[in-house]
Amino acid sequence: MPKIKVEKDLYEKMKDCAEIAGYSSPEEFAIHVLEKEVDLFENAENDPDVMERLKGLGYI
Amino acid sequence: MKRYFYCIGLFLSYHFALPTAAMAYIGPGAGFAFMSSFFVLIAAGFITFFALLSWPLRAVVLFFKRRSIKQNSKARRVILVGFDGLDPKLCDAFMAKGKMPNLKRISETGSYRTLKTTTPAISPVAWSTFSTGVNPGKHRIFDFFTRDPHTYLPVLSSAAITTSKRTLKIGPVQIPIKKATASFLRKSVSVWTILGKKKIFSSVLRVPITFPPEKFYGTCLSAMCAPDILGTQGTYTVFSTRKPSEKNGSAGNYAPIKLIGNNFESVITGPAIEKYGTKKTLQLKINGTIDLKKSIVRLTVGTKTVELSVGKYSAWMPIVFKAGVRKKVQGIARFLLTEIAPDLCIYMTPINIDPEHPNLPISHPGYYAISASKLHGSFSTLGLAEDTWALDEGVIDEKAFLDQAYDIYEERKTLLMDNVRRGKDGFLAFVFDTSDRIQHMFFRYQSEDHPANQGKDTALHKDTIEQLYNKMDSLAGQIMECTNGKDLVMFVSDHGFTSFKYGVNLNSWLWKEGYLSLKAGAGLDGEWFSNVDWTKTRAYAYGLAGIFINTKGRERDGIVEIGKEKKALIAELKDKIESLSVDGNGMRPIRRVIAARGELKGPYVNDAPDLIIGYEEGYRASWNCAKGVITEQVIETNTRCWSGDHCVDPELVPGVFFSNWKMEDPEPALQDLAPTILDIFGIEKQKFHDGKVLPFVQPESKKIKPNH
Repeated sequence: MPKIKVEKDLYEKMKDCAEIAGYSSPEEFAIHVLEKEVDLFENAENDPDVMERLKGLGYI
Repeated sequence: MKRYFYCIGLFLSYHFALPTAAMAYIGPGAGFAFMSSFFVLIAAGFITFFALLSWPLRAVVLFFKRRSIKQNSKARRVILVGFDGLDPKLCDAFMAKGKMPNLKRISETGSYRTLKTTTPAISPVAWSTFSTGVNPGKHRIFDFFTRDPHTYLPVLSSAAITTSKRTLKIGPVQIPIKKATASFLRKSVSVWTILGKKKIFSSVLRVPITFPPEKFYGTCLSAMCAPDILGTQGTYTVFSTRKPSEKNGSAGNYAPIKLIGNNFESVITGPAIEKYGTKKTLQLKINGTIDLKKSIVRLTVGTKTVELSVGKYSAWMPIVFKAGVRKKVQGIARFLLTEIAPDLCIYMTPINIDPEHPNLPISHPGYYAISASKLHGSFSTLGLAEDTWALDEGVIDEKAFLDQAYDIYEERKTLLMDNVRRGKDGFLAFVFDTSDRIQHMFFRYQSEDHPANQGKDTALHKDTIEQLYNKMDSLAGQIMECTNGKDLVMFVSDHGFTSFKYGVNLNSWLWKEGYLSLKAGAGLDGEWFSNVDWTKTRAYAYGLAGIFINTKGRERDGIVEIGKEKKALIAELKDKIESLSVDGNGMRPIRRVIAARGELKGPYVNDAPDLIIGYEEGYRASWNCAKGVITEQVIETNTRCWSGDHCVDPELVPGVFFSNWKMEDPEPALQDLAPTILDIFGIEKQKFHDGKVLPFVQPESKKIKPNH
């Protein structure tokens, strides 16, 4: 799994933010922030199989 | 002359047969390549040597680490057995009737409470809270599925299966490599990951929302939401000489049978694969013979032949699709002959991922499923393995469904009891969903006025739920037989159960009230909101949990501004929906509407439905509503076999909590279990945990005698 290096000061701040927000770790916090940012640049793909994957789910 | 030719022949033979020195230039590249591989060998040898050399030191460190953990542990091991959907009201009734003597005894000598479930009270949400000790706002599972805000199309909440495209470069040649990968979407950290960091071994078997499995110090066998080999949540197949319209519905595949005298043949449809840029559906021919005199069918699938008689399931059969040279996709399925004459009908279960040859990760470590299969035989690996759709669509009857559900139960029981008997310490979690599936399909027998009873049997299986609870109780007794007072044993459920008589289509209501708009000229009935004009829609109901506000910046075509406008709309909808009545007769299908932002806390609340609907007993999101179908009717009568549910106000469906040790908290909650398990092993509750540590009193070491 690739890793990203951050400054120690930033990491300490991330630790505090993660704890206040309810993340389990600064890593989870960083991943969530990055996921949200990456999401802004991603093009929505219409996956034709997306509905097929729910086929057979008894609840619906 | 002859001698001369003989000498020349001999010389040539020597020349060609014996090797001679060859001159060639070996460039630095070849040298590096040789040295690199040599270096790898040296490095591997060095690592092995170092590992062997340091082993005693590591063993000593581990010994002291474990010893300190054991000294701090309050229990030798913790066993948690989940009975999905076991309801406290029904437990009370059956315990009073003497049908659950083992759990009754545990309730007297240990503890018995209702267990507060999650909001919403849906299994993937609840079990994720059990795993992590946090509310759904911190683990991001709010329903079985959610919408992709970019497309408004449904996506599974807990796992994403994608095809990763990588390129292998060999000099100027680039070889594209495609690989199916599954990613786990539940957030936060599971209790077994935390235990593993302290070298406490966990066995996490068939606990919902563990697909794909996490990597931790222990073993895991995935459950709920693990797909079948087609990538669906379970697609059955009916092979029949009868036309599909008569006996096949939307959740299954139909395969026509070609009859030639007493011989027949058909085709199993497999997964679709991409080959040379085009999609190809894999197929497997099957054939067989009918013996009407003996009332049997001999069915050949691949190299195996099985004899089928009406109403009896075959054993698991390997289903192998050839996908290319030395490539195959392997699954397992069971067959059931449902009719032999005048029509021939064979039902095939969804093709489960073969535990012995898994094409997706269904266990941790990967070989765990393989070894379990070799040890105990093939077993179902599908997340929701009991085929509820086949019963709902009349492909199999109640008896066949029960046979299937209890066969799966026996497979899992074998695995659990093996772990209970062999395990000495650490944490063992095992969840049975038999209790959930059977209640879903047989709850109509609990009330005479259930609309689903019309035209169906109401007598033959009326004691099914009582028998189910009795069976779960008997299992509890068998587990207690293998444990003692040093083991903390808990039996819990994620939620209770209630009747599902009427469905509420909130999308129809939102459309009628002007909150949801259809495209100009579009009719009703399109699935997954295909006819909805998102640019004019302010709110929409999705899945089983609740309503999303079409929010600017969150949804692709969101129109409601975050802040005052959204807050006002949430308040307006809450008021209106809570006062919704059925045809003006005063019956209220919705007990309360819960604003997610007040109830849930955590970094992922923005992904939750903005309003969580607390349905009254007897009601639930309608079948059409859950799939984004807008109809003229707001209230839909439920006539399906799927006649019980729990997707109602969480206050109405708490779970159960039984423990062999006395527990002094009067109101335990599902989110308390993870911090409590850590505490039992001497590990502090984590800062991000929402649950509290339940106070246990360790009993004297003594065995509880079970009743079977």
